[in-house]
Amino acid sequence: MTPADNLQPTAQIARHPIHVMLVPVPITCFVGALITDIVYYFTAEMMWADFSAWLLVVGLIVGVLAAIAGLTDFIGNRGIRNLSAAWLHMFGNVAVLVVAFFNVLIHTRDAWTSVVPTGIILSIITVLILPVTGWLGWTMVYRHGVAVDRVGVAP
Amino acid sequence: MRTRMTARCCLTMLLLGTTAIVLSGCNEGGDPNAEIGANPKLPELTQYLLPPMNVAHVVGWKQGETPTVAPGLKIEALATGLQHPRSLYTLPNGDVLVVESKAPPAPPPKRPKDIIMGFVESWATSGGSTGPSNRITLLHDANGDGIPESKSVYIDHLNSPFGVALVGNDLYVANTDAIVKYPYRPGETEMKAQGTTLMELPGGPIDHHWTKSLVASKDGSLLYVGVGSNSNITENGIEAEKNRADILEVNRDSGRWRVFASGLRNPNGLSFEPQSGALWTVVNERDEIGPDLVPDYMTSVKDGAFYGWPYSYYGQHVDPRVMPQRPDLVAKAIPPDYALSSHVAPLGMVFYTADALPQAYRGGAFVGEHGSWNRTPLNGYKVIYVPFSDGKPSGAAQDVVTGFLNNDNQARGRPVGLAVDKTGALLIADDVGNTVWRVTATGS
Repeated sequence: MTPADNLQPTAQIARHPIHVMLVPVPITCFVGALITDIVYYFTAEMMWADFSAWLLVVGLIVGVLAAIAGLTDFIGNRGIRNLSAAWLHMFGNVAVLVVAFFNVLIHTRDAWTSVVPTGIILSIITVLILPVTGWLGWTMVYRHGVAVDRVGVAP
Repeated sequence: MRTRMTARCCLTMLLLGTTAIVLSGCNEGGDPNAEIGANPKLPELTQYLLPPMNVAHVVGWKQGETPTVAPGLKIEALATGLQHPRSLYTLPNGDVLVVESKAPPAPPPKRPKDIIMGFVESWATSGGSTGPSNRITLLHDANGDGIPESKSVYIDHLNSPFGVALVGNDLYVANTDAIVKYPYRPGETEMKAQGTTLMELPGGPIDHHWTKSLVASKDGSLLYVGVGSNSNITENGIEAEKNRADILEVNRDSGRWRVFASGLRNPNGLSFEPQSGALWTVVNERDEIGPDLVPDYMTSVKDGAFYGWPYSYYGQHVDPRVMPQRPDLVAKAIPPDYALSSHVAPLGMVFYTADALPQAYRGGAFVGEHGSWNRTPLNGYKVIYVPFSDGKPSGAAQDVVTGFLNNDNQARGRPVGLAVDKTGALLIADDVGNTVWRVTATGS
């Protein structure tokens, strides 16, 4: 028996894990929001702060959907729950969403203080956590074979 | 495993708890009356996590309901069933022009916040679909008994009009995007002629503060027009604020104009103080830095003066939300004369020079306060009187017309523009109650 045999995702479409399909969106949005925050910091051009606000909202919404899918996999499979990487991955990404939530609120302020200093600090924190949780996610997939479909693959 | 689950539960509880505490964050204002008068004591500014919104739900006036007036006064409806009457103008023959006006179409949202706030604000602005507006209705009350003999649509199909001024037989209407001149003929109940544009005004596509207040100088050679800012505090970009948050002075003959005074976020109710002859205005100050900041105000307007917006308020109180900052402009910002309390939204002002109302109301200014939408408890929603002597406010403001909110803090109406009719009665445009109210002395 290979390690992956009992690590199938619960939230899946035709054995394609939903969580993995959704996560690129919040990652891209949160990294993008940090970039537009930085450009706003240097230009004070409102267009960039507006971009940040949209990116954060879209990132948060799709991030919550990804979290629901991920949590479904986590709760639905004891094998996944037994991985310490899965726990850390979850805690880290919940932290990302909580920080992003407050960042969305900070970005509803008008003009300069919607970004500087609190908004841009929260954007930096978000983006600093992402490589850690991403690494843990890759550990789950590439080392433990979570959500890897072994049907038709020689043992 | 169990400890892990417990840890997770604790973390979740902690996060939810913090969120609840932070979100329910304090937006309770202090005593609004503490911020009325010259040199108000201003609290430190606070920045919100959630944009504050506390909108009074609109219920309208039931049959027989009226606002409440101070002792010695009585109030009756001069006209009902109007479509958002926002400002009033009394013609020399006693006819009253009622400017019915709707906000221009909202621009596309720039941020997610615009979508949410637009939705919430739609509860406050008179709710529901409405009939034709953007027109001027003429009320003809020849015997001055407060019951007009006729009511007619005088000028139709205007573009979010607000200010009106008559000089000789030239009738000027300030649409949101232009001052338009019409030939006035006394007694006519319908304007037959087309208007001609005297000057374009800063209008769309954003047009955040869209009401253009208008007044003519005593000698009739100049017009003064109030142009509100295009944002709360430059969040639409500073280039959107060109010739905004200003009072412009227009030469009536040539249409040439200049900025008369600047830094006035949303100036309305332009009027000349009768004793000094100075131009006065009421101004809506900025939002979202606290329930008790920044007090709206009334002030005399000095030629060439800068009153702070957006860079500072009440003189040198710098607003950190504006970047780049302008210390050079902040240094020359002058504080306004008289604070009216925060978020009351004064939109109308008239100096009372007639003698039909009791002595206590002569010589000073009535102010129409449209009411707050982002403060707890609600503030404004009334008409006040500010006594004047020697051309300056003297003493505390008094409530004159109240009861626009019912006991459940629902809006039956909201006062906007004011005027004094030929008999000396005070007229109040109520853009949510769709009524023009007429205040007279008891026993008159």
